[in-house]
Amino acid sequence: MRQWITVFNREMLEYWRNFKWIWVPVIFILLGVTDPLSTYYLPQIIESVGGLPEDATFDIPTPPPADVLMMSLSQYSQLGVLVVALMSMGLISGERKSGAAELVLVKPIRYSTYVTAKWAATSVLVLLSLIVGLLASWYYTNLLFGEIAFGDLLLTLLFYSLWLFYVVSISILLNTMFKTPGLVGFLTILLVILTSIVTNIFDHILDWSPAQLSSYINIVLTEGAIPNELWGTTVVTVLLIVGLLTLSIYTFRAREMA
Amino acid sequence: MAELFETINWGLIAPIIVIQLILMVTALIDWARTENTNGPKMMWLFIILLLNIIGPILYFIFGRRND
Repeated sequence: MRQWITVFNREMLEYWRNFKWIWVPVIFILLGVTDPLSTYYLPQIIESVGGLPEDATFDIPTPPPADVLMMSLSQYSQLGVLVVALMSMGLISGERKSGAAELVLVKPIRYSTYVTAKWAATSVLVLLSLIVGLLASWYYTNLLFGEIAFGDLLLTLLFYSLWLFYVVSISILLNTMFKTPGLVGFLTILLVILTSIVTNIFDHILDWSPAQLSSYINIVLTEGAIPNELWGTTVVTVLLIVGLLTLSIYTFRAREMA
Repeated sequence: MAELFETINWGLIAPIIVIQLILMVTALIDWARTENTNGPKMMWLFIILLLNIIGPILYFIFGRRND
């Protein structure tokens, strides 16, 4: 356990040194805030861009607050996932390429310690970024569109973070497989997109796919009750994360032994 | 355009500008401290300064060389 904490702390220090603790939360705040603001100012933006006939009138209905928060979530599902994938692509593969991983692993550190500590450190970073980002989005939504209960925000945060943890797990698995960070980043995004596509195609069977998380969160926000499928999805996602991590430890061990 | 500037509530926009500045300043500090970047160092200075928001992010993801 002490070893685990040491590796974890080393990772945290690394994130301070390469400023991840600043730029990742900042990006999440910006992603969360752009949608409430641009939706709010949409009439003015259209007016100032111009190019419309003089007497054209637009009635843009103000979306309900829940919809605005969902817009921010869909930003995280697209650009947020991209940022997570790009930020974590060199996590293990980069260290193996540069030889830093060997420096750590000559010490009697278990492969599982190394992999899980890395996963946990990235997840903490992503979780805190999501928290500040969603808080910012929530603040602006409350200010400009109307109230969303804090409890609803917490539920959103709780369930949505699972999706990002799932992305981190995929990235960790690919990190243990390949030594090229760029390839890892690309394949991570590809796999995440694939998850969404497969879920869309087999919508009627895959009720519990992690890609369904945000549509269930939408139900939570609009209807105020947690649908039963969400619990199933939660269990499946957690199991998937555990499975991906176990697989990563095995592949990492196999690659390093070879 | 002038009217537009008056209708905007600057209290709403100011935090974003501040955040964007924080991002740019940290990128600049890091840029000044490293010796090598991926690609020409001067190029990254222009990217950080000229591309809003995206520039510093691009620098952090692709420009830093960690070895």
